[in-house]
Amino acid sequence: MPVFLLQRFGQALVAIFGVMTLVFFIQRLTGDPTYLLVPETATQADIEAMRRSLGLDQPLLVQYANYLWDMLRMDFGRSYVQNIAVVEIIASRLPYTVQLASGALLVAFVIGLPLGLAMAIWRKHPLTNALMGFVLGAQSMPTFWSGILMIMIFGVWLGWLPPSGSGSFAHLIMPSIALGLLSMATYARIARSAVIDELSKDYVRSARARGVGTGRLVTRHLIRNSLIPVISISALEISQLLAGAVIVETVFAWPGLGQLTVQSVQSRDFVVVQGIVLLGAFVTISVNLLADILYSVVDPRIRKGSRA
Amino acid sequence: MFHTTLRGFLIAASMLTAPALSAQQITVNLVNEPSTLDPHQQWNPDSYYVYRNIFDNIVTRDDAGEIVPQIATAWEQVSDTEMVLKIREGVTFHDGSPLTAEDVAYSVRRITNPEFGSPQLGQFNQIIGAEATGDFEVTLTTNSPYPVLLAQLVKLSVVPKKVVEALGDESFNAAPIGSGPYAFHEWNRGVDVTLSRNDDYWGEAGPFDAAVFAAVPDASTRVANLRAGTADLIVSIDSDIARQLEGQPGVHVLTAPTERVAFMGMNTTRPPLDDPQVRKAATMAIDREGIVLGILAGGETVAGQMATPSHFGYVDGVEPSPYNLEEAKRIVAETGAGETPMEFATSPVFDQRIVQAIQQMLTEAGFNVEISMTDMSTYLQRARAPEQTERPFFSFGRWSCACQDVDGVQFPLLHSSSSWSRVNDPALDKVLEQGRSSLDDSTREAAYAQVQRTVQDSAYILPLYQAVALYGASDKLDWTPTANESLFLNRMAWSE
Repeated sequence: MPVFLLQRFGQALVAIFGVMTLVFFIQRLTGDPTYLLVPETATQADIEAMRRSLGLDQPLLVQYANYLWDMLRMDFGRSYVQNIAVVEIIASRLPYTVQLASGALLVAFVIGLPLGLAMAIWRKHPLTNALMGFVLGAQSMPTFWSGILMIMIFGVWLGWLPPSGSGSFAHLIMPSIALGLLSMATYARIARSAVIDELSKDYVRSARARGVGTGRLVTRHLIRNSLIPVISISALEISQLLAGAVIVETVFAWPGLGQLTVQSVQSRDFVVVQGIVLLGAFVTISVNLLADILYSVVDPRIRKGSRA
Repeated sequence: MFHTTLRGFLIAASMLTAPALSAQQITVNLVNEPSTLDPHQQWNPDSYYVYRNIFDNIVTRDDAGEIVPQIATAWEQVSDTEMVLKIREGVTFHDGSPLTAEDVAYSVRRITNPEFGSPQLGQFNQIIGAEATGDFEVTLTTNSPYPVLLAQLVKLSVVPKKVVEALGDESFNAAPIGSGPYAFHEWNRGVDVTLSRNDDYWGEAGPFDAAVFAAVPDASTRVANLRAGTADLIVSIDSDIARQLEGQPGVHVLTAPTERVAFMGMNTTRPPLDDPQVRKAATMAIDREGIVLGILAGGETVAGQMATPSHFGYVDGVEPSPYNLEEAKRIVAETGAGETPMEFATSPVFDQRIVQAIQQMLTEAGFNVEISMTDMSTYLQRARAPEQTERPFFSFGRWSCACQDVDGVQFPLLHSSSSWSRVNDPALDKVLEQGRSSLDDSTREAAYAQVQRTVQDSAYILPLYQAVALYGASDKLDWTPTANESLFLNRMAWSE
């Protein structure tokens, strides 16, 4: 087991180094931030001066070496635009992203899983078709539209919820639903097909033959056995949610990482983009590692297999 | 039952948390949060909307657009290159320390110091010296006679020397101290900036106890906030949204003509646009009335020159060159200008409705024009390419120098030495230099009248329209927006 973990850890380090290198060079291929920083009246000499003060006048490889050296010392640099430490900028945005991701995940889980289960068990019931339609609708509604719609209904007409912004639980409700509905649909579909898969297996038939009731069958056997695909999807969903939800954050003026990423890419604030991408890589890799460990907890077969 | 519970829950949630909107607080929705609150660092609207309330500038413009005293109470040009400013006495910074001539001189030296790396350096780099020549007197030196100096000082904020030196640039940016009508209170990163009224302000501080500037990137959300009453003033709306707002109760649209001139730029150094006849044809092909009334419809006016009435150097009585599609077609066919494929360089920042309309109109006249869309930094790299002949054939822009002086518009766009210019005309260069280096108003006006004639005769650039700024506001807010796109809180009030 420790060998396995060490291996995974080594792989993670290589992956992070790869991401670091890629993000450095790709960004520098996309253009020079100096032009965006100076006012229209700046002369060529002013532009040169600005470039020097940002260190962008040095050869690319020298910049790269400096960058790697800074990373080694855990110095993530300062934003070109805001002139403050990147760590500080990201730290101020991260709690919002975590809040929104948790809210969305909660909405997705609480609605999506039971819905998927119900749709699988009562496959033939006429209501299931209606539920399927709801799931499909939730998945196909673009969030910039459903978000604005919610804002108009609950924020402007009914006045029940603050139309946008952050800072309280009430602010979190609408963005969580807008974002969560998307993942909800994914969960419902995955849970449905996993349960249908299980339902056709021999052990279900024998359990039914032994006289096990539907309720007991579901809680004791089906849920646990259908969890593997749900966990795999969760790893994907969580790392996606933690990377920030650009559209929902923009529509609801939610100050998370997604908004920050877009603004930083637009203003070619290389240092901030590097920081966010690294964080994203780190989160994705750790969540996947966690998912691997969780598989073995849920499914004893995997645990036993690794021992053999 | 579920519904009543849900409803009760929602109401409880909103009551628990809705900000106590006191009538004495104003909430403004910007697009993004300020990049910096240090006024010597970033120069973008979302930043200066906020910091211009925290800091006093050396001089300012009143609502009529005249330059009037702020920190400098009087000014005198003592020689061709020296200006003496009298500094207002009795002004204190928010920490209680007095504002002196040394603070003013320090502010000028700080922003013009290349080591400091201010992005605004280009606006002030004609200033080569700033000394306190008395307790309340500062002498500024420019590297040559510079008539636009005072107009530039409208944008130069005064920072407290001792505080900046003690805190360092980073801490000062995080918690700035100025002498303006509003003091910095809190910066909630990514969310909002709160200011509180400076009751010791030397002038009129305005009626609000506090002001919140919140970042709301989506225009529809800003509108929803305004209609729901969680915002009192919103910026950056277009004419479509303005029309939606006009019918709504409790809100109104405020419009101000700005000093921004929209134009179609042409590269006069690249064939076939090096032929004045061909450029004339291009200008005749553009239906500016159609653009202003049909597409924009926000109160813009067709411009006949690269200036607005709010600029010094605006020439009265110039008629825009006429629209004449038939004549344009004839010239294009005759000169064979339609055979050369030409690029119309642009980026998503620019209003694509206009860009597409212009391309359509040029195509109709027989030109072979293709839109080439890139992101902003790539566009700027091309538009400011080191070689004049590499700059784009066509482009659309909206120019403001934020100085209300035509020198700030025409020199960068037309003088051959500028990195924006696609014109290379030594005679025009000379007149532009005259306009920028004489301290005599009538000499300058004559020079700019000459520039205007040359530009129109040779069709060097096509002025399109004077842009307007549209704001959405609660109809309780009493405010007259001005040409320089500032939000001075102490010029706003609640109407009763």
